[in-house]
Amino acid sequence: MDTEAAPIVELKNISKRFPGVQALDNVSLTVFPGEIHALIGENGAGKSTLMNILAGELQPDGGEIAFAGKPCTIQNPFVSQQMGISVVYQELALCPNLTIAENVSLNRAATTPGIALLNRRKFSERARSVLATLGLDDVDTATPVSMLSVAQQQLVEIAKAISGKVKVLVLDEPNSALTPDETSHLFEVLRRLRDAGVGIIYVSHRLEEVLQLSDRITVLRDGKYIDTVPAAAATVDGLIARMVGRAVETLYHRSGALTAGDETVLRISTLTSTKAVLGVSFAVRSGEVVGIAGLPDSGKDELVEACFGLRPYSGDIEVMGKPAKLHSPDAAIERGIAFIPADRRRVGALLVMSVRDNVVAASLDEVSTAGLLRPNAMRALSQDYVNKLDVRIASLGQEMATLSGGNQQKVILARGMATQPHVLILHEPTRGIDVGAKAEIYRILQDLATGGVGVLIASSELPELIGQCDRILVMHQGRLTGEFTRSDAAEEPILACAMGQATHFWRIALSIQISRRLRRK
Amino acid sequence: MLIALLIMCIFLWQATPAFMSVRNLLNIGRQVSMIGIMAIGMTFVLISREVDLSVGSIYALAGLVCGILILANWPLWAAVMVGLLIGMAAGTVNGLLSTYGLLPSFIATLGMMSVLRGIALLITDGQPVTINESQGANAQTLDTFYFLGQGRLFDVVPMQLVFFVIVAIVGWLVLSKTVFGFRVYAVGGSDKAARVSGIKVYNTKIMAFMIMGFLAGLSGMLSLAFLPSGQAGRTGVGVELDVIAAAIVGGASLSGGEGTILGTILGVLIIGVLRNGLVLMGISPFWQETIIGLVIILAVGLDKWTSSRRKAVAR
Repeated sequence: MDTEAAPIVELKNISKRFPGVQALDNVSLTVFPGEIHALIGENGAGKSTLMNILAGELQPDGGEIAFAGKPCTIQNPFVSQQMGISVVYQELALCPNLTIAENVSLNRAATTPGIALLNRRKFSERARSVLATLGLDDVDTATPVSMLSVAQQQLVEIAKAISGKVKVLVLDEPNSALTPDETSHLFEVLRRLRDAGVGIIYVSHRLEEVLQLSDRITVLRDGKYIDTVPAAAATVDGLIARMVGRAVETLYHRSGALTAGDETVLRISTLTSTKAVLGVSFAVRSGEVVGIAGLPDSGKDELVEACFGLRPYSGDIEVMGKPAKLHSPDAAIERGIAFIPADRRRVGALLVMSVRDNVVAASLDEVSTAGLLRPNAMRALSQDYVNKLDVRIASLGQEMATLSGGNQQKVILARGMATQPHVLILHEPTRGIDVGAKAEIYRILQDLATGGVGVLIASSELPELIGQCDRILVMHQGRLTGEFTRSDAAEEPILACAMGQATHFWRIALSIQISRRLRRK
Repeated sequence: MLIALLIMCIFLWQATPAFMSVRNLLNIGRQVSMIGIMAIGMTFVLISREVDLSVGSIYALAGLVCGILILANWPLWAAVMVGLLIGMAAGTVNGLLSTYGLLPSFIATLGMMSVLRGIALLITDGQPVTINESQGANAQTLDTFYFLGQGRLFDVVPMQLVFFVIVAIVGWLVLSKTVFGFRVYAVGGSDKAARVSGIKVYNTKIMAFMIMGFLAGLSGMLSLAFLPSGQAGRTGVGVELDVIAAAIVGGASLSGGEGTILGTILGVLIIGVLRNGLVLMGISPFWQETIIGLVIILAVGLDKWTSSRRKAVAR
């Protein structure tokens, strides 16, 4: 960071009020050219609102914005782009039907008169040169974006953002879908942009990465400015304490000891599903929390989906000692399996329905007689679980869409629990959920395990698995490549397994990790 | 929505006192019944996030077949049963094509609209079918049939309106009080979420189409009994759009998950009252069409504009 330079962006005492919520209350943020400035905070802390104001999507109620030292107003996204502010949103904003080259030139297409003739050669030249600055030299820019993986699309999105003159680049949770490899590549790119003098605002949940990547960190909580600290002087625990307003010591760590019973609640034998899962076998005992780790294309996602009847499979599944044919989710629920899907908004929640309806949706037989719903039973059942899980709602009739991510996830958990399952399968259970709600969800999982439910968690967040599971299975290219018990679970060896290196190498990996730690000191 | 209807009624009452007579009100009730019965079915289909464009053809086919069977001296109950079965069968095909057949229901039912209309033309050879004694119908059967379409309960309430009321009540019970109704909302809200909750998405949608088909058949036969003649090339042409419009004005959403029977009834009444009022006020039929179109746009637009403000807040 060049401290001599003048700030490129100054947001001073910004306030924004939505009906019923003070989304931002006197928040300030200063970004210098050539710095990576992380913006962190729980969901609802106001990060997105602040970035939307910077992008011109929203207008502040109070406060001032200065760009390159001059006060200004940003009426709309077009103006912010003209100024050189580029935003990469969490949800990709690409046209899947267009090619890489066309997408990279989208912004320009928006500003050129519609009558101008297309110069496709120029399009692909520009795309190639931008992609080259990202270290992607061997890309066919005529490939339609729909053929790319999410990670590749992310890079195209960034290419699009930096294709014009960019002075400030905002990235909102850019790597939630990236593998560690791709993430480190992304960081490389961001550092290069920083060194070229771009001011980068990096919004993220992943604190370890924030520490690794950024120069300074600003923390927001409940719409208020808390602190700005140099990354070199910050720690994960310290940041969490600032984000939550209290210390969360037990966040990632399972409190109870291994409580697994003798009963096997779920046994999977040589399960194969399309080309993603190839002959996987394992078992989950009652009271046990088992994790499945793996990179995005490892087959772990397909494995848990097959276990809930969401995709065809061959091989045997036994639930509570009895063979089960799980050809559809209702068959799986029938056999005592509950499932919490990864895509909360699209697959988990019935967004337009009430909290009450969401809780009872998988237990309709419980709350009906001869096909007729019993409203009292629906209310009682949902109220029961809302209390148990401490879901914060105004009323049972509140529409699901109006809840925060953490509360939505609790409602979906309640739906699964209401079916009184023997096995609870969770797919990315805390993706995009703030720290406080995370801790509560972990507590609920541990309570369920203590109550004898077998819990299976597929997650891309290794700290989560290491903290929560009695046992971690690692998948690579459709096969199980490792198994770690609580005592020997650590990030590096699990990652090594996930990348396809044999299990016994973990000692080497561990020694590398230790030596690195030592060097740092 | 109710307020809009009341304001409209009060305005029409002031403008043309004839509007508020019991006779005219019952007349409106009768006029809207055929569309109304189908709009109840369409509410199910729309909430489940599908659409049925073939209702006009089902309406024509079921009515004409029933009429032909009556002319062939079938007992009335059997002829009516066949008409209802045709409706349900057509609905089943619509449902199967739109689910297991993987076709968007817009396309599937657009095709079925043509297919069923074609079948009706083939059966009748394009000739009008008129239900009266000179065509060979049994006099007693005819009396009952006419009564269902033209009669009045206690000599006051038109039978068509009676059917509409019964269908509306049953529809309301099914949609809001049964597990099936719950499933329809869940499936329309998010088919993925519904599936993960163990709901059989395809079965639910097929059932919605079957209800729609059944009611289109019922409506077609009642309408034939009222007229009492029909022609395959003309009966019920374009009716599907009136039906969809009524449900949409009543708050049902083409994007699924939203809508109520009560809302649909209001939608049906708003359009019916408007049409009746415009006639009473002596406004030219050209203007009538224009005004009704504007009202549809306004009704749905108001809903969207207010709800988009809600969403901006949620962001």
